Amino acid sequence: MFNEVINNSGVRPSYNKVFNWAEALPKNIILKKQIQAENLFKKIGVTFSVYNNYDVSERLIPFDMFPRILTSLEWMKIQKGIKQRSIAINAFLTDVYHKAEIIKANLIPGKLIYKNPAYDIKMVGFNVPKNIYSPIIGTDIVRTDEKDFKVLEDNCRTPSGVSYMIENREIMMRMFPDLFESLNIESVDNYPSHLVDILKSLAPKKCNKDPNIVILTPGHLNSAYYEHSFLADLMGVELVQGTDLFVKDNITYMKTTQGPQRVDIIYRRIDDDYLDPLYYKSDSLLGVPGIINSYKTGNVNICSAPGAGLADDKAIYTFMPEIIKFYLGEEPILKNIKTWRCYNKTNLKYVISNLKNLVVKEVHGSGGYGMLIGSQASKKELKKFEKKVLNSPESFIAQPILELSTVPIFDKSKLSDRHVDLRPFSLVGHKKFKLVSGALTRVALKKNSLIVNSSQGGGVKDTWVLSD
Amino acid sequence: MIIKIRHQTEYSFSDTVPRLVQSLKLIPSKTKNQNILDWKLSCSNGSLLESHQDALGHKIFNIFNYNFFGKQEIISKGTIETKDTKGIMSCLQDKVNPLCFLRHTFLTKPENEILKLSKNIKKNKDEIKFCHNLNLTVSEAILFKSGSTNNETSAECSLRLGTGVCQDYAHILISLARYFEIPARYVNGYLLEDNSTNKFYTHAWVELYITNLGWVAFDPSHKKCIDEKYVRISCGYDFIDASPIKGVRLNYLGSEELNFKLSINSEQ
Amino acid sequence: MLSRTAENLYWTARYLERADSIARLLEVAYRISLIPNTQEGYNNEWESILATSGTKEDYLSSYKEIKKDKIEYFLIFDDRNSSSIKNCINKARENIKMVRTGVTLEVWNAVNSFFHSFEELIKRKYYSKDLPEIIDLVKRNVNLIKGTIINTQLLNDGFDFLILGNYFERADFTARIIDVKYFILLPSTSLIGKQVDNFQWSLMLRSVSSYRAFKWAYGNSEIDYIKIIDFLILNDKCPRSLYFSVEKINFHFNRLKKNYKQAGSISPKIENLFKKLRKLSVNDILEEGLHDFLINFIEDIADVYQDLERKYFIGT
Repeated sequence: MFNEVINNSGVRPSYNKVFNWAEALPKNIILKKQIQAENLFKKIGVTFSVYNNYDVSERLIPFDMFPRILTSLEWMKIQKGIKQRSIAINAFLTDVYHKAEIIKANLIPGKLIYKNPAYDIKMVGFNVPKNIYSPIIGTDIVRTDEKDFKVLEDNCRTPSGVSYMIENREIMMRMFPDLFESLNIESVDNYPSHLVDILKSLAPKKCNKDPNIVILTPGHLNSAYYEHSFLADLMGVELVQGTDLFVKDNITYMKTTQGPQRVDIIYRRIDDDYLDPLYYKSDSLLGVPGIINSYKTGNVNICSAPGAGLADDKAIYTFMPEIIKFYLGEEPILKNIKTWRCYNKTNLKYVISNLKNLVVKEVHGSGGYGMLIGSQASKKELKKFEKKVLNSPESFIAQPILELSTVPIFDKSKLSDRHVDLRPFSLVGHKKFKLVSGALTRVALKKNSLIVNSSQGGGVKDTWVLSD
Repeated sequence: MIIKIRHQTEYSFSDTVPRLVQSLKLIPSKTKNQNILDWKLSCSNGSLLESHQDALGHKIFNIFNYNFFGKQEIISKGTIETKDTKGIMSCLQDKVNPLCFLRHTFLTKPENEILKLSKNIKKNKDEIKFCHNLNLTVSEAILFKSGSTNNETSAECSLRLGTGVCQDYAHILISLARYFEIPARYVNGYLLEDNSTNKFYTHAWVELYITNLGWVAFDPSHKKCIDEKYVRISCGYDFIDASPIKGVRLNYLGSEELNFKLSINSEQ
Repeated sequence: MLSRTAENLYWTARYLERADSIARLLEVAYRISLIPNTQEGYNNEWESILATSGTKEDYLSSYKEIKKDKIEYFLIFDDRNSSSIKNCINKARENIKMVRTGVTLEVWNAVNSFFHSFEELIKRKYYSKDLPEIIDLVKRNVNLIKGTIINTQLLNDGFDFLILGNYFERADFTARIIDVKYFILLPSTSLIGKQVDNFQWSLMLRSVSSYRAFKWAYGNSEIDYIKIIDFLILNDKCPRSLYFSVEKINFHFNRLKKNYKQAGSISPKIENLFKKLRKLSVNDILEEGLHDFLINFIEDIADVYQDLERKYFIGT
């Protein structure tokens, strides 16, 4: 297991200052600052909603003050790797919705794509503006040793968490300005303006002026609503719900106090299934009837494109190295994690007999749901999962139990190591790629736990990229 | 065979509909076995606008209405020339890989009843013969009884009941075919059922994908492949997906009543 | 601005004003409970509070008897009462949450903090003795929010909708208070002018926080019927008077129209109402009949709201 702060020869240079600072913080100050941070979050209203069957409750995402630090060298590699991956993902989506060369080349089995519910047949043959299906990609990265960063998952639909990246920084700067004076930390606050830039480069065919962008949210009960309004605010665009929009004669409008106003680009934060009741779930009230017609006739762009989620399907993930090689002719800079595809019989046999030492994931699941961590499961749970996997092997993949790297948190007032991952947010536009030097670090707050998802007891940290 | 069709659908609303959007897939498909001589869509209210041709080859039209009250009449009419090609559907304007039609929907998901039925089917290496077997098995699996099922009846459910209409026959065949890994899809169209009365009906059947032949149209409620008496309009995963008219009413709480009239003349 | 944003801003302000009004009503009730020998007015007063807040029927369907601590709980915390202070705060926050981007961070913070401090109260068991503290918290926070709006919001259309929400609610509420008092406390004309009126009218002034203001406006002269009607309906300096609310509504309608460069009148009704009130005297009102006057006024304001809704909240 890789400890990002301390190795055999002591504290790693990049953490030197911060580690000394943290060690020297008096206990009462730590506690006081923690309360202050919590109050700041509460005041600003940074919350996420947790769902169970009965009600929705608002919670604060736990924030830890010990920052995650990456050197500029480390960041450079991540950046190159993500850029490569994001471009390959969009090339892949363009291909599978058109000529499907990668299938013809026998690099991916056709059934894996065509039977996949994330593959939207309504998108076949349609040219999305500038061939960008997924302009906003959140890449989940884990660090396994000094040199190696590996990709755990791609999020190509509507990745969330970027507001935490920005807010965590804001709060750290307010609480510990001295640290920022003594270290050269790359700023992250230009993310919203980059996002506007990227989206503007993706105007639909029939837009011939400065495009009007809106963010489409499912509403204030959505777990990421805070983020939606946060982004709209910083981007200077309207935050709309389905009912704020309407389509007339294939043109999309929003309802304003000054009458209907044309909309050109929709950064949607609702799932494909809810976009348009004429095409998807017919009882959906979140979407806009006719929006797909407006999209298909080149009157509006929907970002990400319907059907873009195919690329972050866990079954497709396992082919990412082939995808990168096929479209870019390059070796992947960021490696995948070794993955067993259960639909392959030899793999399945291996997975079933090694269940205890593996993480098994449902192919279409997300948010850490439908997942088994072999080493932490009871015999009963193992048996149950084995049955599930055998029942529909094509729905599962397995990976070794990862040795996620650790960074300490303030546990009460003492430093204590916890596992972390990293989610940078990359932006892909027309002949443009942007990645701010920063990311969201998610941290498992329970000791030894490997689950960092906020919905399951994970917290967040500010992530610093040091400049040279 | 040259057929003239006039298909009129009428919706009446009990109250004002603040916003009504209707999406139509009513233009017959262009294939080798049907040649459209002329076709026209019209509606009594609102702006009717051509939108786009979708991936399955449907020409999509939309109607937009605002503060709508009363009756909406949609008329689809034209002349078409049909040929018997033994069900083989060549020259479809379809861009979608057939394997997509291995996906199940809730109307076609196979459960116990379908599995039981699947055991009766004789295996056959010849794909064409096997598909005919499937069609035959399904045509005998339930009894035709109108009114015994509705729009939400699944293949599984209709099998359990033992009765159904053309839509249910189609769903059962689709479910079964997909179970055997044969791509299958739902087709909507018109059928001349009885030469003597010259009567046409809206009808539903199934297309199965056969290697080397492509899509072949089977009609399980009539135990055969389609011929020159069939006019193909739209296709999809199932009844809901393929439906030729979809409408969304916003902020509307009143009721909606649907009537349709079909008048068709054929010339041989 | 999105139509829904405008609507959310309007309702945020309206619910906040309502929470504040209910708190003021409770304050008066609390004051009565401290004064000895007011038994005859006592039950009446509690009933009139329910009537004013428009919740009497709801209350009686949940509770059998008119009882002080039950009414207090009902008006402050009860979920079954759609106008309880708790519900008003929740709705105000829900509305403003939907338009986070339409208000300044300071305004959002003020509303959000109010919500969180009130949440703390909800967690505790309620005792009547806590009433002054609760009233104080509500009044203080609403004032803080209004101040923050005036101090930090850009004076754009969003500002207009916030202010409109505030004054629509106030116009309606003040009209109801006067109407309820007139009927319940003075059922027969023979009582008018007696000692008990004096006391009741002073309570009424207090319930709209205008007792002091009245004294400033009219000096230390005797409170009487005419002066009160003049003060609460026609006075152009009393921020609780109907005239004042109408003037504000008219003003902000005109501002919106001008900002949006819209031609024609948004609401001829508000213009007429404003013109009418400007010329009106107490005698005119008494001639029309105070009750009728108030009922007409409440209806007019509801119509004006329809105009606002049609013009700005529908959006097409």
